[in-house]
Amino acid sequence: MPTIKKTKVEYEGRVEEREVIVEEEYIEPWGADAELTVVGRPTPRVDGVPRVTGRARYTHDARWPDLLVGRFLRSPHPHARLVRIDSRRAEAMPGVWLVWHRDQPPPVERFEGRPLFTEELPYEGAEVAFLVAENERIAEDALAAIEVEYEELAFAHDLDDAMAEDAPPTLLDDESNLVDPEGDTYERGSVEQGLQDADVVVDLTFTTPRAAHCCLETHGSVARWEGDHLTVWHSTQGINRCKGSLADALDMPMDEIRVICEYVGGGFGSKFAAENYTVLAALASKATQHPVSALLDRREEHLVGGYRPSSRQRVRLGAKRDGTLTLIEHEAWIGTGAYGESGPIVGGPAKDLYASPNARTATWTVRANTDAHRAFRAPGYVEGTFALEGAMDALAEELDMDPLDLRLKNYTEQSPSRDTPYTDKRLREAYEIGAERMGWRSREERRATSGVWKRGWGMATQIWGGGGGPPAKAIVKLESDGTAEVLLGVQDLGTGTKTVLAQVAAEELGLPLDRVRVVIGDTQGTPYGPGSGGSVTLASTTPAVRNAVHDALRQLFGIAAYMLDMPDEAPDQFYTEQGEIVYRPDPTKRISFVQVAAKVGNYMFVGTGARGPNPDDAAINTFGAHFAEVEVNTRTGQVRVNKVVAVHDIGRVVNPLTATSQVIGGVNMALGYVLMEERVFNARTGLQLTANLEDYRLVTIADAPVVDVAFVDVADIQANSVGSKGLGEPPIIPLAAAVANAVADAIGVRITALPITPDRVLNALRAEREEQ
Amino acid sequence: MAIKPFAHGNAVTVAEAVEALSASCRPLAGGTDLLAMMKADLTAPESLVNLKTIPELHEIGVVPDAETTKGLRIGAMVTLSQLAAHPAVQGRQELGRGSLTRSSMAVLHQAILRTASPQLRHMATLGGNLLQEPRCWYYRNELIPCWRKGGRLCYAYRGENKRHVILGGGPCYAVHPSDPAVALLAMDASLRIVGPAGERTMSLAEFYHPPDRETRTVTHLAIDELITEIRVPAPQAGTRGVYVKVAERAAWDFALAAVAIQAVMEGDTIRSCRVALGGVATIPWRASQVEEVLMGQASSPAPLSTAVIDRAVEAVVEDIRPLEHNGYKADLLQGVLREALDQLR
Repeated sequence: MPTIKKTKVEYEGRVEEREVIVEEEYIEPWGADAELTVVGRPTPRVDGVPRVTGRARYTHDARWPDLLVGRFLRSPHPHARLVRIDSRRAEAMPGVWLVWHRDQPPPVERFEGRPLFTEELPYEGAEVAFLVAENERIAEDALAAIEVEYEELAFAHDLDDAMAEDAPPTLLDDESNLVDPEGDTYERGSVEQGLQDADVVVDLTFTTPRAAHCCLETHGSVARWEGDHLTVWHSTQGINRCKGSLADALDMPMDEIRVICEYVGGGFGSKFAAENYTVLAALASKATQHPVSALLDRREEHLVGGYRPSSRQRVRLGAKRDGTLTLIEHEAWIGTGAYGESGPIVGGPAKDLYASPNARTATWTVRANTDAHRAFRAPGYVEGTFALEGAMDALAEELDMDPLDLRLKNYTEQSPSRDTPYTDKRLREAYEIGAERMGWRSREERRATSGVWKRGWGMATQIWGGGGGPPAKAIVKLESDGTAEVLLGVQDLGTGTKTVLAQVAAEELGLPLDRVRVVIGDTQGTPYGPGSGGSVTLASTTPAVRNAVHDALRQLFGIAAYMLDMPDEAPDQFYTEQGEIVYRPDPTKRISFVQVAAKVGNYMFVGTGARGPNPDDAAINTFGAHFAEVEVNTRTGQVRVNKVVAVHDIGRVVNPLTATSQVIGGVNMALGYVLMEERVFNARTGLQLTANLEDYRLVTIADAPVVDVAFVDVADIQANSVGSKGLGEPPIIPLAAAVANAVADAIGVRITALPITPDRVLNALRAEREEQ
Repeated sequence: MAIKPFAHGNAVTVAEAVEALSASCRPLAGGTDLLAMMKADLTAPESLVNLKTIPELHEIGVVPDAETTKGLRIGAMVTLSQLAAHPAVQGRQELGRGSLTRSSMAVLHQAILRTASPQLRHMATLGGNLLQEPRCWYYRNELIPCWRKGGRLCYAYRGENKRHVILGGGPCYAVHPSDPAVALLAMDASLRIVGPAGERTMSLAEFYHPPDRETRTVTHLAIDELITEIRVPAPQAGTRGVYVKVAERAAWDFALAAVAIQAVMEGDTIRSCRVALGGVATIPWRASQVEEVLMGQASSPAPLSTAVIDRAVEAVVEDIRPLEHNGYKADLLQGVLREALDQLR
């Protein structure tokens, strides 16, 4: 009988209590020493071939001969009032189907609490009109024919000028550019006590830039209305959330909406719900009775596709002479955009990474005239770790301690902010493996003291959630030929979700991998699954798959018992092995799936399963450590990252191959953040200067370091029945800090502003020289 | 953004192409810059005349030059990849007596390999590379009416200018983007230019001029002229070259600063040299004062000592006028010059 239970789920640093329906029987977790044959083996992606041969269909590939193209007219000012708009000329152009704007609104006028077209346009790229035409060329010519008069308003373009005493309001009706003047605060013990007890105090301020997601596939939707039924192809991390938000926006029954996203070309946190372009494409499809696309181009992607917010962070650490922390204090200001809500949990690492009796975090979010920030791979933790771990290194230097020893000195076995034990924490092992592989303890022997290129080493620690939790459901269908189909309402963000789902199903079914097909990326026919965010997908869905398989097998075992002439044997007296059902007390008694299926004719065994609750009173977290070796050219300011050792503790590694590539990808994405990525605005005009992939620099393969990836790889059997936790975000978290610490070690001066570009290195070296 | 409609025609001869050229009909070489400019709506020619179909512009070869030496003639449509693969550029084919060393053409070879990305080098031509529009983020932004595009104001001058000019700036402060042009300036290359009035030859040093109140362009190429050939004189015996470039990214990035040196060495003494700078001026910049230091007194040539290098490094920043955010380029340029001279030694 289903029952309701409360459980805690951590999502991007926030712990939520959820009520869940518990409907499954208790299923034994795979123990740390379980003999698994598919799970834990390096497994190429089940959809790797279509991905690399171009056969995978993305949202941008959804096209038909009668497809109409929707395009936006966007504000060319950082802050303006729409005085007048006249689209008559555009509408008269051949091939133009419709134009919607403030004075000519679409049938649904509001979305997410705001009109789709507003009079106040508080950032460059704000939507002024949506136009649908036969093709892109006609659409662009017609957009150019729309007459618009703007009244330009005062603007603030980033954290500093939005926080200034006389800063203009980002939104005319707002009294303050602070999202919430109270801020988001946390405190244990007291700052005064922490300072009093300290022998040494360090106090540093760090700044980080706005960083763009740069999804290879830009944001977009394609909508096709047939009768009362709406199908939307949406480049998304959350097909179910998209369906829900569309039903809300369009006031439609959920069963009339189907959302498809079999493949997504990157999301990184920026693609969850339906967006204004999704709603407008759907409305336009209904109005024109044609499929309609609304796909952003690269420039629009930079203007309105979101970014990791900028930050200014002050970190104050107090410690005893022996390195014992007495205080961790973290204050942060987060730079979002005009409609931005409170920023991410930048203080998360400060709260939880180290034992300290006294800790305080306080974060304020500040609006400026840009688009709003969006979640970006480990929101807050990338920024917060850079600052905290930079300050820890400064403290280690002050105490003349090895940076790793300082971290070990303040190691915590309990979650400091939740005051509970962890289900499992193997950070110590991660430190050991990383230090060993980097040769951390013998690094001084390899230091180049002469020469232009100075070598340095740095390390940093990662904490993140990734435990996942309910709700997540799965359906397993056992076909009569001994193959299986597994259905989930999730999507593969590129992390290899589809592959690990197939592995776990195959393992539990006792079937080879190629007999299992996974269907995801479509809300039609699949049960509810979570969005791919917060590194929760694997830990939320794979236990549901085990439960679904378990449910199907129980039915199968009943028939098998009958066929093996032991009709009264309980299902748990059987297990599966390579497509056969085996009687546990006497393994010579066995019968194949196919034989059972043949016996029962066309019968199909269908199992359903749900994710159970998380354990009570325990924190589920992932941990890791990155070690970096860099060389810095003291003449030119160039930073070269030679090698990164990345060690993560995520419980059991289901697929070492995709896990390794996840880490390599995360390290290289973080490398861009620490060395070159920055969204730059012109102070005079408030316009973005980096709205392209030339001025917004992502790393190339020529910049990539050697990445040595390792996992502690011990099942966390308290966490869930698979023993695994998420890895989507952990690899991007500690790298910036590790590299920045290594740069400081190499040149003897700490750069506290990202990105660490040659100008910053040379200016820091000059300042150092002039001081001496 | 979709490209605006335009007419496209293939030219088979240079004369045919030149005939077609006008303000509204532009030559299409590799298209890596022009088509991107058109897509961004920064330029909108009514028609393009395709130069790929002119066989002679693809030729590259060692041809007789002066009596005793040979030069390299590079058709303007030779791609950067083709040029980098040519035996003469790789130092495997003799261009002049005693010049058969890997280092005699190294400055050009290195500059090409540090240009853009392999994909772009497969498409981009040498002629087109010399005529690139600036990559300045104000110039390239369709919403910003900067001076270079016909506006009244240089937005870089008091704006976000860390990538901009420190030498000879104003009224425009956008750096010239080419790497090969800097190397070719150091090599004393010249250009064959064909127009309605016939052909002329011009040294690369004369070809570029900083923009001024009257002209918003940086070359002496008329609207109806084509570069047909780039001529590199044969290196003298003992020639060694080096190209050092620093950018924020290891590949597919423009120089923050670059130094090209082509020197005739006798042992460790520089007999003569040409030094050119990239990433610091509106045009490839000849650093004559550095050359003077390096060549020393003609009467008493001295080896390339640390003291000489120090003086050269002093000299390279003599005339700089940094903007608010590009003061570091002085240190950087000095650092790049030191790297280059170290490699030359």
